[in-house]
This record gives sequence, C-alpha cells and structure tokens, in this order.
Amino acid sequence: MSSRSAKDAKANARAERAAELLAATERKRRADNLRRGVIVGGLLAVVVAAAVLLSLRSSDQDVVASQVGSSDYGLVVGEVGAPYEIVIYEDFLCPICGVFEQTAGEQLSAVAAAGNVVIDYRPISILGRFGPYSDDAYNAFLVVQEAGGDEVAMNFHDLLFDDQPAEDGPFPEVDWFVEKAVEAGADEASVRTGIESGARMDDVEAATQEAEDDGVAGTPTILLDGVVFNDGGSWEEIARNLIEEIS
Amino acid sequence: MTALSSAPAAWRSGARAPWWGLAARLVVGGVWIWASALKLLDPATSIESVRAYEILPASLVEPVGYVLPALEVVVGLTLVVGLLTRGAALLSALLLIAFIVGISTAWARGLEIDCGCFGDGGANPDATSQYPWEIARDVGLLGLSLFLLRARSSRLALDSLLFRPPVPATIEGSST
Repeated sequence: MSSRSAKDAKANARAERAAELLAATERKRRADNLRRGVIVGGLLAVVVAAAVLLSLRSSDQDVVASQVGSSDYGLVVGEVGAPYEIVIYEDFLCPICGVFEQTAGEQLSAVAAAGNVVIDYRPISILGRFGPYSDDAYNAFLVVQEAGGDEVAMNFHDLLFDDQPAEDGPFPEVDWFVEKAVEAGADEASVRTGIESGARMDDVEAATQEAEDDGVAGTPTILLDGVVFNDGGSWEEIARNLIEEIS
Repeated sequence: MTALSSAPAAWRSGARAPWWGLAARLVVGGVWIWASALKLLDPATSIESVRAYEILPASLVEPVGYVLPALEVVVGLTLVVGLLTRGAALLSALLLIAFIVGISTAWARGLEIDCGCFGDGGANPDATSQYPWEIARDVGLLGLSLFLLRARSSRLALDSLLFRPPVPATIEGSST
C-alpha cells in the first residue's frame, strides 16, 4: 500500500515536472515568436516608410515654371503684372482638365478681365497613348492662335473643352477642329491647311518637352504665384478654392 | 539560436498545410505587387486616383496617395514569401474592404471614375459598367485574404522558418 502510494507520488511529481517543463518550453517558444514577430514587423514598417519617402522624393521635384508670358507656346490672358499669376498646364484630352475648365474657366476669364490675375495657359500633349487627339487639338490651337490672335485662340480653347471627347474616344475628324476654329472667330482659309497638315506639330512636341523639363508630371498642373495649387478634395473643389484665392 | 537547426522540422510542419494556402498567397500577393508597382512609378496618378473618389478631405488626399502604394507593395511581398502571413492577410482584407466601400460609394454617388486600382485613375465614361466587376474581383481577393487569415500556415512560407510551431505534448511527455 504505502510503497504503491509512494510510487504514485513519485509518478505525480514526475508528471508535474514534465508539465512544468512543457509549460516553460511553451512560454519560451511564444516569447521567442513574439520577439521575432515584433522585429520582422518593425522592419516591414521601416520598408513601408522607406517606400513612402522614395515615392515622395521621386515626385517632389517642384514644378519650376518659367515666368508668365515667357513661354513661346502659351496663351496669356490678362495683364502681365496683375496681383496674382497663374500658370495652367493642361492637355485638351485630359478629363480632369475638362472638369477644371467647366468649373473655373469662365470665372478665371472674368477675374483676369477685371485685372486681378494674369493667366498663362500652357497646353501640352501627354495623352498620345489614346490616339492623336491631344496632338491634333494642340496643333490646331497653335494654328488658330497664329492666324486669329489670342482672343480667338482663347475662344477655341473654351470650345474644345466644352465639347471634349472621352479620353479613350471616339474622336472627331480633323474637320471638326476647323469647324470649331471658325466658330471661335478664325478665318477658315487661314487655318484649314495648318490644321490638316499638322503645321505646328514640332511646336507641340517642343512645348510638351519644355513643360516636362519644368517638372510637370501630369495635367492639370496649376501654379498660383509659382507654387503648385492643388488644395481640394476634388477638382471641382480645387477650382473653386483657386477662384476664391484670387478673388 | 535553434532556428536554423530546427528548420527542417519547421518546413515539415509547414508542409502539412494545404497547397492552396500557397496558391492563395501567390494570387493575392501577386495582385498587390502588380497594383502597387504601377502606382509607385507614378505617384501623381496615385494621388489623383485617391482624389477622384471625392471621399477624403483635401489634406488627406496626398498622404493617402503616397502611403497606399507603399502599403500595397509590402502586403504583396510579405504574402508572396509568407512572412507574417496572417498579419499581411489581415491588412490585405482591411484594404480590400476599404476599396470595396470606396468603389460602391462612387457607384452610388454616380461618379464615373476609374477605380485607380492599377495605376490609371480619374474619369472614365465606362465606369458604371466596370464597377460590378471591380467589386466582384475585390470580393474574391477579400475571400482569399480571409482564408489566409484563418488558415494558420501554408506551404513554403518564411513564417515556418522563422517561428517555431507548438511541440505536440505527447512526444515531450513520453520521451522520459
């Protein structure tokens, strides 16, 4: 009896020790795993932070636009020397540019006419991947500006944005640009050849290159007094905020 | 450290996990890497994609535009190599839920925007016909992420090298 219970007690003690050992091993395993998990998690957080910084740096090359009126390919509206200066880079096909023009276009012209702002519209052509529309539209714009002057070119600009095609087409025929040019006040005979032959395509390319060299990464890019302006949760809001800023 | 010496046993324990855990990791992780690569190359577009949803206030648009692609690439890489798999799967699921909510509200508000999932972004006249597919794709990826969250291990995962699995009690107890 007594020897048996002693045996039992021994066995119990052994089992307890084994259980303790097991529990200790398990605790150590968990602590190890947690430690490694925290280290790896920390390293990954560093990777995320590095990726953010990297993309910040790659894009934060500031846009340094040449002075209002100094580009050979722009259209200046308003009086140089007005209290506010705005430079607008836009692609005639870019849908957000369309949204911006619809929201702010008329008011911008009004504020410019009142003498409170001078605006340098600098079209560029960066959406060639969707087709020739960006190139054709900008070429037509330059032809119209050359033949009809800045005011007609501004009308033409507004007409193109009023009737902007979808980014991925379908696109109008070249003749459509001639119609718009005439509607804007240009003389058909003076613009048709240039529009149809793409007379200013070299300038389209040069202007786009110039903008890229200035650091323009996309359209619309808007600079207010030399600083990129994109304050808003949507482009309607940005457009409204811009108007508010200069009014 | 015993990590290296016990590695073969660890691989074996991972090897008991089903192959489709690995398959799910590769699919979901691969999609994240692809999606983020296009955005990391072009942060400006990423920012405009975020703005196009018209959900976030102006001050948050840019930070989110920068952080999202970085998060995505890390979630993708960790899923593919099986590092902190369950944490990555949880993050993946949360991101996908956010995207599903974002796309659904854009649809409900009548916005016609590209989801910006793979770099493009901004307006898209065909958007309404694409929303159902985009949501279906994200729901599928969400399902796979939740599966990975539930499955404790999968094959060929770095996790099984890095973390020791629990030792079955019977072996320890009977060995004395």
